[in-house]
Amino acid sequence: MRSKVMNENWHNFLRLIFSMRFHIVVATVFWSDLVDSRKIRGISSSYKRFYREKKSFLCIDGSKMIPFEQVNDDYCDCQDGSDEPGTSACPRGRFYCTNLGFRPHYIPSSRVNDGICDCCDASDEYNSPARCQNSCWNLGQRERAFVEGQMRALDEGLRLKQQLIEEGVLLWREKQAQLRELQQVAEDLQLKLEEHRRKKHEADQTLKALQSSDSGHAGYNSSAVGLFNLLDSNKDGSLSVEEIQSKVTFIRDETRVLTEDEAVTLLGGGHRMDLSTFRNTLWDILTSGDSVKIKDMHSGGAGRLVGDDPHLKAADRAAEWEATNLKKAEESYEQVSAEISELQRKLAIDYGTDWEFLFLNTQCFQLQVYEYTYTLCPFNQVTQKSSAGTEVSLGVWGMWSGSANNPYSQQVYENGEPCWQGGSRSTTVTLTCGTETGLRSAKEPSKCQYIMDFQTPVACQPVLKQRGVHSEL
Amino acid sequence: MAAFTERMALVQAFLLVLCLGGTWAVDKGNFKTCDQSAFCKRQRAMKPGESPYRALLETMELTNTRLTLQLINDNNKVRLLLELYRLQGNMTRVKINELKPLKPRYEVPDVLIKEPPTEPLALLSQDENGVVLSLGAESQRVIVSARPFRLDIMEGHDVLMSLNSRGLLAFEHLRMRKDTFSYKVTSTVASVWDNVKRVFSSQVEPDGEKKEDVDPANHAETTKEEDDKIEEGMWEESFKSHADTKPNGPSAISLDFSLPGVENVYGIPEHADNLKLKTTENGDPYRLYNLDVFQYELYNPMALYGAVPVLLAHNTQRTTGIFWLNAAETWVDISSNTAGKTVFGKMLDYVQGSSERPQTDVRWISESGIIDVFIMLGPTPRDVFSQYASLTGTQAFPPLAALGYHQCRWNYNDQEDVKTVDAGFDEHDIPYDFIWLDIEHTDGKRYFTWDSHKFGNPKEMLQGIKDKKRKMVAIVDPHIKVDSNYKIHNEIRSKGFYVKNKDGGDYEGWCWPGSAGYPDFTRADMRAWWASMFAYDQYEGSMENLYTWNDMNEPSVFNGPEVTMHKDAMHGDWEHRDVHNLYGFYVQMATADGLVQRSGGTERPFVLTRAFFAGSQRLGAVWTGDNAAEWDHLKISIPMCLSLGLVGISFCGADVGGFFKSPSSELLVRWYQTGAYQPFFRAHAHLDTPRREPWLFGPENTALIRDVIRQRYTLLPYWYQQFYHTYLTGEPIMRPLWVEYPQDQATFAIDDEYLIGKDLLVHPVTEEGSRGVTAYLPEKDNVWYNVQTFQKHNGGQNLYIPVTMSSIPVFQRGGSIIPRKLRVRRSSACMENDPYTLYVALNQQRAAEGELYIDDGHTFNYQKNEFIHRRLTFSNNILSSVNLNADGKFTTLSWVERIVIIGASKPNKITLQTAEGQESSIEFDFDASMSVLTLRKPGMNAGEDWKVMLQ
Repeated sequence: MRSKVMNENWHNFLRLIFSMRFHIVVATVFWSDLVDSRKIRGISSSYKRFYREKKSFLCIDGSKMIPFEQVNDDYCDCQDGSDEPGTSACPRGRFYCTNLGFRPHYIPSSRVNDGICDCCDASDEYNSPARCQNSCWNLGQRERAFVEGQMRALDEGLRLKQQLIEEGVLLWREKQAQLRELQQVAEDLQLKLEEHRRKKHEADQTLKALQSSDSGHAGYNSSAVGLFNLLDSNKDGSLSVEEIQSKVTFIRDETRVLTEDEAVTLLGGGHRMDLSTFRNTLWDILTSGDSVKIKDMHSGGAGRLVGDDPHLKAADRAAEWEATNLKKAEESYEQVSAEISELQRKLAIDYGTDWEFLFLNTQCFQLQVYEYTYTLCPFNQVTQKSSAGTEVSLGVWGMWSGSANNPYSQQVYENGEPCWQGGSRSTTVTLTCGTETGLRSAKEPSKCQYIMDFQTPVACQPVLKQRGVHSEL
Repeated sequence: MAAFTERMALVQAFLLVLCLGGTWAVDKGNFKTCDQSAFCKRQRAMKPGESPYRALLETMELTNTRLTLQLINDNNKVRLLLELYRLQGNMTRVKINELKPLKPRYEVPDVLIKEPPTEPLALLSQDENGVVLSLGAESQRVIVSARPFRLDIMEGHDVLMSLNSRGLLAFEHLRMRKDTFSYKVTSTVASVWDNVKRVFSSQVEPDGEKKEDVDPANHAETTKEEDDKIEEGMWEESFKSHADTKPNGPSAISLDFSLPGVENVYGIPEHADNLKLKTTENGDPYRLYNLDVFQYELYNPMALYGAVPVLLAHNTQRTTGIFWLNAAETWVDISSNTAGKTVFGKMLDYVQGSSERPQTDVRWISESGIIDVFIMLGPTPRDVFSQYASLTGTQAFPPLAALGYHQCRWNYNDQEDVKTVDAGFDEHDIPYDFIWLDIEHTDGKRYFTWDSHKFGNPKEMLQGIKDKKRKMVAIVDPHIKVDSNYKIHNEIRSKGFYVKNKDGGDYEGWCWPGSAGYPDFTRADMRAWWASMFAYDQYEGSMENLYTWNDMNEPSVFNGPEVTMHKDAMHGDWEHRDVHNLYGFYVQMATADGLVQRSGGTERPFVLTRAFFAGSQRLGAVWTGDNAAEWDHLKISIPMCLSLGLVGISFCGADVGGFFKSPSSELLVRWYQTGAYQPFFRAHAHLDTPRREPWLFGPENTALIRDVIRQRYTLLPYWYQQFYHTYLTGEPIMRPLWVEYPQDQATFAIDDEYLIGKDLLVHPVTEEGSRGVTAYLPEKDNVWYNVQTFQKHNGGQNLYIPVTMSSIPVFQRGGSIIPRKLRVRRSSACMENDPYTLYVALNQQRAAEGELYIDDGHTFNYQKNEFIHRRLTFSNNILSSVNLNADGKFTTLSWVERIVIIGASKPNKITLQTAEGQESSIEFDFDASMSVLTLRKPGMNAGEDWKVMLQ
């Protein structure tokens, strides 16, 4: 049972190769045709019907009729080269290597009798000093072994791929769950955040109410008076520039001492200020708290500011507490939001139809080439480190760039370190099927343009059923 | 390969900033103008006028082969010795040196292939004003006028050329420095010594020396000399941060030549300028000083990588040439003066015709050495080529493969890369013969070595290439890394072969490997040693299909003045100043010798060089250096190679695609189409450019490039025959139209089209988006056939040719026969035994003629008569092949598979008659629309006698 499966795979694989390379149009060939035809060099059995011995030969493109003796007579008569399949006479001709024991294939006519062995059955050098050995059987053996190895690798690769797909799906789900969890957390935080906002607002209201109405005019007064007294260090009933400079500071930069001009501004343009003016001007500025404040407001100063009213004190503490809570809630909400968008960004990347490439996104792969170490972190970035230790970016994740029928065969990483002559480094990674995952090669064919070969089971593609292809094996 | 500045940027960060910030062009400030070169400034300050030189006719000595006489400068009384020779083949050699130089002055060795054979000179008349000598049979005379001194070469009543007619002969005699302490000491010692010597010599040689003693002029000389003024730049000068110590002081020479009746002058390469030289009155003179110029600018007289001091003058009656044999820095001023002619001496009065007669004046200025000038009197262009070839030799006959396509890039990264590119050519069915490796293939820019990682098994790589019958070129530059672990360096140092600095130590400069020494290639023993390094057991990893490329041999010294060597560096007794322009010539000579020797003298070498001098044609190929992927650079490749061809260097090409920058696919295709029709056909690209192998620009462009490379390969028999021909005659392969049509004035300034040999006219498309070109078809009574369509066009017209991307306007001359091999294979070697197709293009007289040359393609056996050379003639309806090498000892397997007769009428019958007299009928096909008759498979061997008769 196992061997039958193998066999099918093997044939499918060969068919794939043939159909890709040679586009052989297949016609049904009857054995009797072969018997009728004279031995014509350089044609495949499928073309033998055109060369049945007659008086004349019609060029396959129908352009010209020539005597049959002029077929393979080393002079090109037909535009399409069809009269000279076995010689080098026609510029556009092709010669069929039968290569019994190996793969048959076509070579350009110009390689017939050029002193270089091209067909493994040596059929192209029939009139040449080249000593060609028939190596088809060895090549065939080797190729069969190779193909079998490839098939085993493909089978194994596909098996591993299936696993990885499953893992990928799990991972995807895990990530999705993680996302949902995070989103839930975010929602909860959102609620908490609103709660905290509400609480803070309430606390602020309470505080304000206590400050303004609860303690009445006196409270307001005493509070203004308290503050005035606090500032009036020499108790002369009037605030001076020096007193302002020593007690008042900027909210945004507590370390900076007010300049004289700034102090004068706070004093309403003069050098002194009495209590009544203070109550109507500076008092408002200080209590609104958007630009300046009393130094050490929170440690010692605050207590004195709010005076000794225990209600006011409690309300003030509560407002402060709620403000801190709100800040904490905001921070954790932002953090979770960032995590969500990072996860969403990652999940927005195309990891293949079955998320089979997803497992790569947390890994990095290295390869040493001459004096350089290349590191590929799929879906993330590519770097190159020289033996001297300098690391250079060869690009960050760009996109899939494979062909239309297999978009997942190639990746591009762009916008790496800028190049001396303009532009920036970029890397094209080709993904090939293999049983192990790793970097196989890294090259720089042109300055700043890198190419890598990355092997992984998830790049393995099941062999598709091909339309009927004939081989001469 | 790149020039200095850019690669230096890798090491010198400040230059990087300059390069990025600046525009894309040469930094002219790195190179001297005439004003910045002290001797040029000094000499150019001298204006035409009466020459201070007088010929002392009483000193004249005339032997059978030469005339000598002394010249005296009336201003300083210094005497010169003039030697005048009549050379075989209608040439006159004029040599002028100091009569008694303080120390010997440099005379260029090794450039002439032999001492030129002389012919007798006869004295026709003599009086106190001068002498008249006969120059052989053709009523040619040279008139030596005494006061002031001048030479006039005449034929009949015509003055062909006058020397010193504008009085610009100058000779800065060697002198002692007077403004230093050492001078005072040495002059005192010298005068004491002179006195001692005089006492003794007067006893030993009473005649010669005594006579001199009493000569009042000589006495005056010593006194007068002390009055010579010391001008700035005579004893030292500096350029940018570089000082030139000039211990020998001023030593420049100068001479003017007047060319009556001449309006067109050509030659003196290498300049990125038009073919026809321009007058230089309003700018700098053309400069000849081998320099590595980064991103050179077009259409100016700046010096480039090579120098050939040969100028050709042409008018409808005559072509002449001037070969100024001097290897020092040289400037050439050209002026055209149809009015304001100088007054001729009374002996010339009668030749004064119309004062409207055009005249070109040329003035040569060199920094040191002597005046040694060869005047080639033509009269035809062919005669001048042959005259020059008799002096300096002809183009080396290259291996056939070198005429194929060369694929180069800085750099193919490793062996695998080489293998992939090689396979790419097969995959896309494009032939090539050579793949090239630039400097990165070496172990740290140590030439003769391989990078052990990237090229760990060079023989395996070379064998892989050999299996496809292809070849490789690896670069070997003349700068040697100073590294005590490097065998080449150690040997050169221990043998004392390096060029020395002014203080006697090994000269060191900065180049690719960092600090580098420069072997003294002017030494024959050094060259012999260098050649021996190419032996297979010395050059590890080399094989017989590995050839060599000499780059940076100007020499390029990144941190030297003008990116080259200090002029006060020493080559034995000579200063670098004296030998500069010879350095690259010698590098290529030693390398080519090495390649010949490694094969035991049997195989032809192939060496490409960037720097060159007169005579470099004997050594291999040259290319036009580091050009750019721009349309103007494509255009300039034509005049640049035409100018080189005129002075003997036929094997010329430009980097296809352009070295710097990246070509558009249109430019790349057009460049391939142009390069395929130039002698040396190599694509090359800078390290920083994207890959550009022919198949990387989409299937359509791949097909266009494939097609033109294949056209090149079909024409290889014709190219090869052209190289054989130039090897024999010195005629350029790629030649300006005027060379073939010297009386057709319409051709004199054409440099956007050219001929290959005499039978193919090429007008490459060098304009972006071109829809057509206008080609001039010469020869009123002849016809030209488009080689692609066989369409016939009359000569003597400007023809508009509409073009598409696949069009390459190439025409075959009516009256010619061109052999081709139509079976294009992977490489030229694969095509060795392939059959020929003969293209017979009939003229109005229904006649045609051509040649066929065949040999083994790679050995020197052709010099032992092992070749086939046949004349093919079509007349009276008979095409025949006649032997031109009766005792030839070569046979070929190649045969004639097809004969295409263009411009034919339809015959009734065609018969082939072989050497044995057997007759057979030949099938044929006639295309009445184009009048093309195709003979099917006549089948005779290409080396035999045969006749084909049309009835």
